[in-house]
Amino acid sequence: MMRRISPNHDRLQSLSGTWRDINGMPSLMSIPGDEQTAAHLGIADLSFLTRFGVKGAGAAAWLESRDLEVPDRPNTWRSLPDGGIIARLGLTEFLIEDSLHSSFALRLAEACQHVPDRVYPVLRQDAAIVLCGTAIPDLLQQTCSVHFQSFSLNDHPVILTLIVGVSVTIIPIAPDRYRIWCDGTFGAYLWETLATIVQELGGGVVGADRLI
Amino acid sequence: MPFRLLKFALSKDHPEPRMFRQPDRLKSSYDAVIIGGGGHGLAAAYYLARDHDMKNIAVLEKGYIGGGNTGRNTTIIRSNYLTPEGVKFYDESVRLWQDLSQDFDLNLFYSNRGHFTLAHTDASLRTMRWRAEVNKHFGIDSELVDPAEVQKACPMMDMTCGGHAPILGALYHAPGSIARHDAVAWGYGRGADLRGVEIHQQTEVLGIQIESDRVTGIETSHGTISTPRVLCAVAGSTPRILDLVGLRSPIYIHPLQAMVSEPMKPWLDPIIVSGSLHVYVSQTARGELVMGASLDPYELHSTRSTLDFAEGLAAHMLELFPFLSHVKVVRQWAGMADMTPDFAPIMGKTSIEGFYLDSGWGTWGFKATPVCGKTMAYTVAHDRNHDLIEDFSLSRFENYELVGEKGAASVGH
Amino acid sequence: MKLMTCPVNGARSISEFVCAGEVRPIPDPNTTNDLAWGAFVFHCNGAAGIKQEWWCHTPSDTWFIAERNTQTDEILRTYLWGEVA
Repeated sequence: MMRRISPNHDRLQSLSGTWRDINGMPSLMSIPGDEQTAAHLGIADLSFLTRFGVKGAGAAAWLESRDLEVPDRPNTWRSLPDGGIIARLGLTEFLIEDSLHSSFALRLAEACQHVPDRVYPVLRQDAAIVLCGTAIPDLLQQTCSVHFQSFSLNDHPVILTLIVGVSVTIIPIAPDRYRIWCDGTFGAYLWETLATIVQELGGGVVGADRLI
Repeated sequence: MPFRLLKFALSKDHPEPRMFRQPDRLKSSYDAVIIGGGGHGLAAAYYLARDHDMKNIAVLEKGYIGGGNTGRNTTIIRSNYLTPEGVKFYDESVRLWQDLSQDFDLNLFYSNRGHFTLAHTDASLRTMRWRAEVNKHFGIDSELVDPAEVQKACPMMDMTCGGHAPILGALYHAPGSIARHDAVAWGYGRGADLRGVEIHQQTEVLGIQIESDRVTGIETSHGTISTPRVLCAVAGSTPRILDLVGLRSPIYIHPLQAMVSEPMKPWLDPIIVSGSLHVYVSQTARGELVMGASLDPYELHSTRSTLDFAEGLAAHMLELFPFLSHVKVVRQWAGMADMTPDFAPIMGKTSIEGFYLDSGWGTWGFKATPVCGKTMAYTVAHDRNHDLIEDFSLSRFENYELVGEKGAASVGH
Repeated sequence: MKLMTCPVNGARSISEFVCAGEVRPIPDPNTTNDLAWGAFVFHCNGAAGIKQEWWCHTPSDTWFIAERNTQTDEILRTYLWGEVA
């Protein structure tokens, strides 16, 4: 399997904890004592999950022809059969992220060798983050101008906005669990800025194990 | 001086004459009319009267003297530009500045400070080397200096800018100066007034009369006047005046904001500019820090201030000078900048005879006040573009002959 | 915080948007002359007024048109290109 490195790797590698290779990427799975941290405010790297992106006027129909149920409204998401995520970004773009137990990204990438007109694959090299804990609003209020409490999680909202000046895609999965994706080249900056504020708020970095 | 002040305290009436008269009404005709009573317009009137013996001139100002960009800039004067056209032009301006206080018999608080443009990247260091060489070729005092020199001139500066934008060097321009901007307008206004020029404030231009491509008169809020020559020197209102005469231009208007801190003891002698951090700053004789940043990001014909701007500028100031974290901002304001695609002005004759432009002064107009006045006076008096402004004509856009001065704009736009 | 409403993403801080200038017709490059092309490339309608402008919501790359008063900075409406105005 191809060797992958997380965009946040430089910021994480000095942390002592349990590391494991997932999808060819060294991943921090747990840190001693992170259970308590996670309940208050934690930040973890999920870049190791596999993803696939596609856009264009024909993208929705093409995904449906591959037996995927796509979210019917712009900026919403739904679960994949084995626990992954399919998010509709705006009108005609989609982000698919596998769980540890699915392989949609791989299959779609293969199918993408021959796509119909108006279907365009999008290279996804994201820094993928998850925030957890009850203090998430304290962190987001300092870093983002969107009022997340105004969204109903039952609507499965996807929010494309800026956090500390970086373009991000955000999904509030639950009040105490937010997923964030950004372009990998901004990953280290976003991670470091968020992790610093997380620490100021009494939280810390946690392993990915309990969050996937 | 104290005795003179005593006279003010004891007198019931204002004991000194006003800087300039307030004429009651407009005459029916003038040899030339200047639209805009800012530094540029008043300077042109002054040099027309002084050097070209044209006295029957009216300056029309919609608001009050120096109330536009002349009173809204950050008072920096320099000539370390990038293009030969720009360098020659601004250098003449710096030379004129140096004698202006004498000329006017008025203290402009012209203060020679030295001007550092910081380089935080290899690319900006390269542009500065280029600028230094162009400058030196034209005999201008301008050189590249290393970080140690910068630190020596400004020991309070964090040379790493919080670790993420270390200073690699700077373009140093010894003649860089600041001056009291209001006094510049008053000085030119008084000088012009003494020589017979009429300054009409609260007088708005409503229309410009043109017959077979030739200016014949102006309609104002106080009546119509006839004149064969009109100079338009209205900064952010240029597109509106151009609409009146049916000329098209590439000028677009963005607000440029600035702010001032509370006064403190003198600690910053030179003028510091950082393009990467979007900051320029100097300390006035009163001890305030005058700070500016880049243009507002979209077109707007308004002088409103925003919190976004104050926050952003303060954050960048703290990267350079972390010890200022407890200093208060006392004032914030904006001017309307008339921007051009090549960051050079638009000056001189136009396709309409008798209609002259002094515009496109965007964010760089204050420093050019004297030389604009002088060259525009020449152009209006002789109906021929002065040599120094030949390359700045409006027709350069149709002819694809842009000047390309963006690399020397003080901060990124 | 000044807000602008993206037709797809909803009301957001103006800092999430960039303006790309007024909506205007492009002359046909194959038939136009240098003078008209130069005027299209450089000249603009610089006076204040109510204008239709191209804007982009940068986090989502959504391009749309905003009708805005450039004197008062009032955003009158926003809509996607091709939508009935």
